[in-house]
Amino acid sequence: MSRRLLYILLVLVVTASVSSCKSCSNSDDLSQDLVVPDSIAFNDPVPVLGETVIEEMMQNIASPVETAALIKGLKVPFNKDFLLTTKASEKFNTSFEKSLALGIYGCDLGYLNMYEKSSFVIDYIQVIKRLADDIQVGQFFDFSTLKRLATNNENLDSLVTISQQSFSRIDNYLRESNRPMLSAVIVAGLWVEGSYLTTRVAQVSNHKRIRETLGEQKTILIFLLKVLKVYEKDPSMAKFLTDIEKVKALYDDVKITYEVGEPEMVEEDGVIVFKQTDKQIVEMSDETYQKIIDSIQKLRADLTKF
Amino acid sequence: MKRILFAFIVVLVSVSFAKNASAQSEEELVQICGMIAKDATFLKDFRIKLDAGDPPPVQRVPVILKKDVKYRFSVCNSKDFEGKVVLQLFDNNRMLATTYVIATGKDYPTIDWVCTKTGAYHLFFSFRDGKAGLAVGLLSMVEMM
Repeated sequence: MSRRLLYILLVLVVTASVSSCKSCSNSDDLSQDLVVPDSIAFNDPVPVLGETVIEEMMQNIASPVETAALIKGLKVPFNKDFLLTTKASEKFNTSFEKSLALGIYGCDLGYLNMYEKSSFVIDYIQVIKRLADDIQVGQFFDFSTLKRLATNNENLDSLVTISQQSFSRIDNYLRESNRPMLSAVIVAGLWVEGSYLTTRVAQVSNHKRIRETLGEQKTILIFLLKVLKVYEKDPSMAKFLTDIEKVKALYDDVKITYEVGEPEMVEEDGVIVFKQTDKQIVEMSDETYQKIIDSIQKLRADLTKF
Repeated sequence: MKRILFAFIVVLVSVSFAKNASAQSEEELVQICGMIAKDATFLKDFRIKLDAGDPPPVQRVPVILKKDVKYRFSVCNSKDFEGKVVLQLFDNNRMLATTYVIATGKDYPTIDWVCTKTGAYHLFFSFRDGKAGLAVGLLSMVEMM
């Protein structure tokens, strides 16, 4: 009797230990459930970034929140015509195109969220979820919560935060799962759409901040190209780089200079605030400004028409 | 025999307890950090895990910050490690902001940064006194200036 009881206990202990290990190691790692299908696996060897390079990869290159906040801050009215229609999402077929579209629609979602246009948000999050599923990252997109928030028109701040967090998780996962190129392509899509929205606003507003924002894309584009060029052997990336380099070439005529100042530390409403006092001066001719607007709009049109 | 049985029961209970009392995850830290950042809009999280070392190991993150944006940097430490994280913002070799002011010895879980120049900056994360640590840093946007 005692031996039998002893045996049962031994089995219980071993079972509990094994199940405990399983749940610990995988509780937050959704990636373990995933198998990347052949349809989105790369046929040609794609350069894999070394750990150091990944660590060095620039963060926050293109953020829909900052672009949308800038536009809204200038009191530019909402315009749905600026956005890529959700119907256009059907044109994106390869994983490269879908990643690019994910960036474009992600930026549009940021614009819609900023203007609290929750009635349009649902269509966009549905498209984003489908695109994310197609490249096997849909599990990081909190679709049900976003849909609930948008449907009930409740807590719109959470809508922005959860959208951002979803994209951040997708970005982290792609970098960690040997598919950093797709992460870079999503960032490129965000940049293209953010710049495109800025050009559309530039056509209806003469605000000097819009002009400066388009000019300072020179700095951002340099870093974006650095990331994208790591994958230039990929045919889709090579084609994209050829297109985006045409925009970059126009920025050679944009001059950016800086005046350096000492940062100040103050306390405001109980929060420590560090204030930069450097000055940024962006100079370009009207002709260059117009050429940049045209070239970004052409780039976006080429990428969204097949 | 009774002693052996008792020992097994203790082990069984301990294993079951350990299963439920899992370590604080990075995802939990991101959520906590989000609460520390209050009403600022989430932009990006950075997961920091460093071993103990002398000099203290540093995790460097390059980041693009944009003109006329007031950013908020928030940090929070895992309760499972001794290390207290320090975030420093650098522009080339100039330190522009920090969550730990050496002169006063004060730690700030949240600091704001008013950016006047679009460009590449570096976030340096380390743990005080070179202790091992796990932490999350959060970049969020307070407002357009």
